[in-house]
Amino acid sequence: MTPPGPARQALELARKDLLLEGRAGEALLVTAPFGGVALLLFPLAIGTDVPLLRSVGYGIYWVVVLLFGVLVSLRQSATDTPAQAALLRLTGVHPAVRLTGRAAANTLLLLAFQLILLPVTVMIYDPPLDSWPWLLAVLPLVAAGLAVLGTLAGALAQGFAGRATLGPLLVIPLALPLLLSATQVAEAVRYGRQPWSWLALLLLVDVVAALAVALSARSLEEYS
Amino acid sequence: MRPVPGRLTAVTVVAVAGALVAALTAPPDRLQGNLQRLMYVHVPAAWLAYLSFAITLGASAGWLWKRRASLDRLASASAEVGVFFTGLTIALGSIWGKPVWGVWWTWDPRLVTTAMMFFVYLGYLALRRATLDATVRARRSAVFGVLAFAQIPVVHMSVVWWRAVHQPPTVLKPAAPTIDEWMLAALLANVLAFTLVYVVLLRARIRLAVAEEAYDAAHDGAAGELAGQAITTPDYRKEFPNHV
Repeated sequence: MTPPGPARQALELARKDLLLEGRAGEALLVTAPFGGVALLLFPLAIGTDVPLLRSVGYGIYWVVVLLFGVLVSLRQSATDTPAQAALLRLTGVHPAVRLTGRAAANTLLLLAFQLILLPVTVMIYDPPLDSWPWLLAVLPLVAAGLAVLGTLAGALAQGFAGRATLGPLLVIPLALPLLLSATQVAEAVRYGRQPWSWLALLLLVDVVAALAVALSARSLEEYS
Repeated sequence: MRPVPGRLTAVTVVAVAGALVAALTAPPDRLQGNLQRLMYVHVPAAWLAYLSFAITLGASAGWLWKRRASLDRLASASAEVGVFFTGLTIALGSIWGKPVWGVWWTWDPRLVTTAMMFFVYLGYLALRRATLDATVRARRSAVFGVLAFAQIPVVHMSVVWWRAVHQPPTVLKPAAPTIDEWMLAALLANVLAFTLVYVVLLRARIRLAVAEEAYDAAHDGAAGELAGQAITTPDYRKEFPNHV
């Protein structure tokens, strides 16, 4: 029997992660409502000034996506026990393939997370929707970048008791270009400019993060 | 511990004294007056933050290649010193910013990216503290030490790429430096003195790490007092001697 290729292996691992998340419901049934609560709290803290909320709504949405999206990437169901990791190693799955599978599952979950929070943001903040066609590119690019960085942080903090707090500290500062680009796309559209340079920055961050995962996967694998 | 300071420490003390004299005797800025003298500490501190993290990068990459414990110690010590100098850079910039810009902090790209760099390397140190096993700690922090360096070019180029309140590079730029000769000489003297301070701190931190490792090795496996050791399970036969 021919063993499945790396792409098939990564897809199967992503499917396994999604199945586990489907059973646990940690990302979409717990973290997403928590993000919704955060969106609701900002107006109570900064004041219910409708024009002000309209102008800051889009930025607040991306801050919530960034902060809570890391929790989606570092969810409990996205951890491998030493026995699971050993089994995958024995079956010949390359560490990069393992991390790619996890990143792919994280990307889909983050995209779903973003899509859940977007209508909530529109409803609460009523931000200008003139940049919505660009969101079709921004949403998946941010989801992919955050997912890859989250996967890397998850691998770095694997097995730690403080994984859920250390992981965000490692990811958030590195994810700053994602936040900047996502918010600046809307800003550029508002002032009648083409936001291609910000999309290019998003793509660059995604590619660099993916390369970092691919190159460091074997080094991170050895510990377990 | 040596009672008399070594040659390097003595040279450093002399260099710092000379740099202090140079900083105090250099002409004041035409607009900022004596406030500008803070730059003789702020700029060298920022330069040392870059240098520290560059050495962390080199040592981390070296560890991934050669797996030598000394490289891990160098990477860790340099990151610690770098975090200190980054914090100093931010604090001094803030002290300078209040009278000159009118605010302690502003949303300038250079300031924000520097603060992010500070937090990235705090994350690096947190990662090291969270890992107990020496080899796992070295491996994970080496990977992160290489990744984290991606921030440094962004910090340095932020004033060129974005419109900023922070002034663009004065010395490290393609064209000739745009600074008075005396000021430049005082600045370079301070950069040299601070680099020596960095070397002294780095050496001291590495020695401390070696001593810590020796201590851990000496006490590894020794019967230390464990939490809850005073509590013992009740002796059933003693409590109930007649129980069959």
